[in-house]
Amino acid sequence: MKSALMKFLWWFEHRLELRKTIWPVMRHPIPRDLRTQVGWLYVFGSTAMTLFVLQIITGIGLGMVYVPSAGEAYESLEHINYEVELGWMLRAIHNWSANGMVVLVVVHMTQVFLMGAYKYPRELTWIIGVLLLLLTVGMAFTGQVLRWDADSYWGLGVGVAMIGRIPWIGPQLVELLMGGPTMGADTLSRFFALHVFIIPGILFVALGIHLYLVVRKGISEPPVPSEPVDPATYVEKYEEKLKTGDPFFPDVFLRDAVFIGLTLLVVVGLSAILGPKGPSAPPDPTLMQVEPLPDWYFLPLFAVLALSPPSLETAIILIAPVIIVAALFLVPIFSGKGQRSPRRRPVAVLAVILFLLCYCVLWQLGVQEPWSPHMSAWSGEPVPESMIKGRSPKQLQGAAILQEKTCRNCHALDGRGGQRGPDLTDVATRLTRDQLVRQVIQGGGNMPAYGKEMNRDEVDALVSFLETLKPDGYAAAESSVVTDRSD
Amino acid sequence: MTQRHAIAIDTDNSPPRTARRLRWYVLLPLCCVGCLDSLPGKPTEADRYRRPDTIMDFATLYKQHCSGCHGADGTLGPAPPLNDSMFLTIISDAEIKQVLDHGRAGTPMPAMNQKQGGPLTDQQIEALIAGIREKWGAKSSATSESLPKYAVSVHANGQPVGDPIAGKQTFADSCASCHGEEGRGDHALNDRGFLGTISNQALRRIIITGRPDLGMPNYQEAGEESGAGKPLSSEDIDDLVALLSSWRSAETDESK
Repeated sequence: MKSALMKFLWWFEHRLELRKTIWPVMRHPIPRDLRTQVGWLYVFGSTAMTLFVLQIITGIGLGMVYVPSAGEAYESLEHINYEVELGWMLRAIHNWSANGMVVLVVVHMTQVFLMGAYKYPRELTWIIGVLLLLLTVGMAFTGQVLRWDADSYWGLGVGVAMIGRIPWIGPQLVELLMGGPTMGADTLSRFFALHVFIIPGILFVALGIHLYLVVRKGISEPPVPSEPVDPATYVEKYEEKLKTGDPFFPDVFLRDAVFIGLTLLVVVGLSAILGPKGPSAPPDPTLMQVEPLPDWYFLPLFAVLALSPPSLETAIILIAPVIIVAALFLVPIFSGKGQRSPRRRPVAVLAVILFLLCYCVLWQLGVQEPWSPHMSAWSGEPVPESMIKGRSPKQLQGAAILQEKTCRNCHALDGRGGQRGPDLTDVATRLTRDQLVRQVIQGGGNMPAYGKEMNRDEVDALVSFLETLKPDGYAAAESSVVTDRSD
Repeated sequence: MTQRHAIAIDTDNSPPRTARRLRWYVLLPLCCVGCLDSLPGKPTEADRYRRPDTIMDFATLYKQHCSGCHGADGTLGPAPPLNDSMFLTIISDAEIKQVLDHGRAGTPMPAMNQKQGGPLTDQQIEALIAGIREKWGAKSSATSESLPKYAVSVHANGQPVGDPIAGKQTFADSCASCHGEEGRGDHALNDRGFLGTISNQALRRIIITGRPDLGMPNYQEAGEESGAGKPLSSEDIDDLVALLSSWRSAETDESK
């Protein structure tokens, strides 16, 4: 029986000759320095690739049910979520492995950058890698568009508005992308084609070249400060190292396999516990109650766009991406040799820290969106009970007026409510009664004037309530100018 | 091989091994599918997006549209509590609907019906009224007949029925201990900021029900704790509203 099976396999091997082609590739030597714990830093690329494969598998599954038409896409998503057996799981895995892929691509890139692995002779591997990053981001954005809900609809609006600002060809590009000057029947079909055929197609080719280069040029050895890269001698030294190297399969591959397994467990676990994302509200521009947010990876961009002054918008939209992408592409050209160890490359380390800091801060701002009023806070966020107990009838009326005049949509109490204006929890320690009255009536500092919205009694009651808003034991604000004219 | 198999079948009463195995192969995936269906990530009908004007669930409607002023649980908000069985006994559904549809003139209570520029449909308002009744309505057999009537009575000129002079005495007996002489104490009532932002109807309601969540006694307790030693009568309440209304007009006159 066994020999029959072997015979059967040999029949194929005799024709395919995999032992002469794939097997040597699987066995290509890896420097033995990776045997230490540092080897675990080399697993992210292969894991990102595995998630890409998972994306393709789940994507094909979704493609069998999803209807890429503006009128039916939303319903088909609900159909997958609620009616198709395990359809929700398919959507969840597609979503979570997409998130994982974005994270792992960035982590992989950071590791390569910090360890100087992009230097000679692996510059082209990096450049193709940057292209893969851009394609991954493209997949993330087009995937968000295919989740044809309110977030997707308004996110697409922002995206095409940015493209529309490109000089000369902007409007034509928008028309090409959306199948018309505005979002219409063809828009979703175009993005479906992008997400399912065009970008994955390019991604496949780029990934093929990337892998070819990885195998041809070999896995970089962990950097040692005393061994800077010198193109004249590097290859010779590296090949010397390979003589004592370990074969990729199965020795080194085992580590990749363990991390890939863990990652798949996390992806499936997240899918099982947290489920799929959305669809949220339908993409209906007449729904006033939606507060759309882009997917998390675009939140920092969302924050930058929301916070940039109009005079800088075009520069930020058109010039900054060109600079950032160009810088990424040109990194190996300008620092393709010399020191690889992060211990001797403070600028590189600081650049990564600066990027992460900016990303996290902007991300946090994107989550809070303090620039946007919370339109339902006035009727949906109760006044904290501690601000109600012991208050006089007039102060209570003031608190009701604070809610009814929708002050809460921009001002939080105890952190709950809009973030657009200052939190009012201890406003009485900052503003005197006169200042409060003036602020309410005249507005100022980005706040509209409410003088015409409220009568004298309402202002009186409201300010009486605001005057009570200070922590126990704190003095009320005092005027810096004595206005008492009696003396 | 076949012989050994046959012996195994003969000596064992349970189904043949292959059949038992087969059963597992069928059951296990079915179990898995069953488990997968009970995973926490599986979206349920509750996760399905609903257009705001199709939400009929009382808890959601109340939280989104009422809790801001009336408190998370219908008490301890700046506006009078809805979680108040006495209030819900004296007020009729039609009166609640009137307030929800059109708001309360002279108070911060806004119109909630879409026809008046609010966010809610007629059906949602009905759902809110039913929910308020079901959740917070009177559980006892108390009827509105045994309680002072809800609606404030007014003269043809819009002035409240009642005698402000008589109201002064009632106020001194039953209210002044907290609200101060002439309503000018810590919890002052004789103040434009208060009287100018509340209607006579709302005043009457609060006098009847008190603010149990804030420790203000209702008409019964206030009357019994006073010198009179008996609950405030409907006329006493009329007089008190007339008094507060007269303070409101006096303040307005002063400011002219």
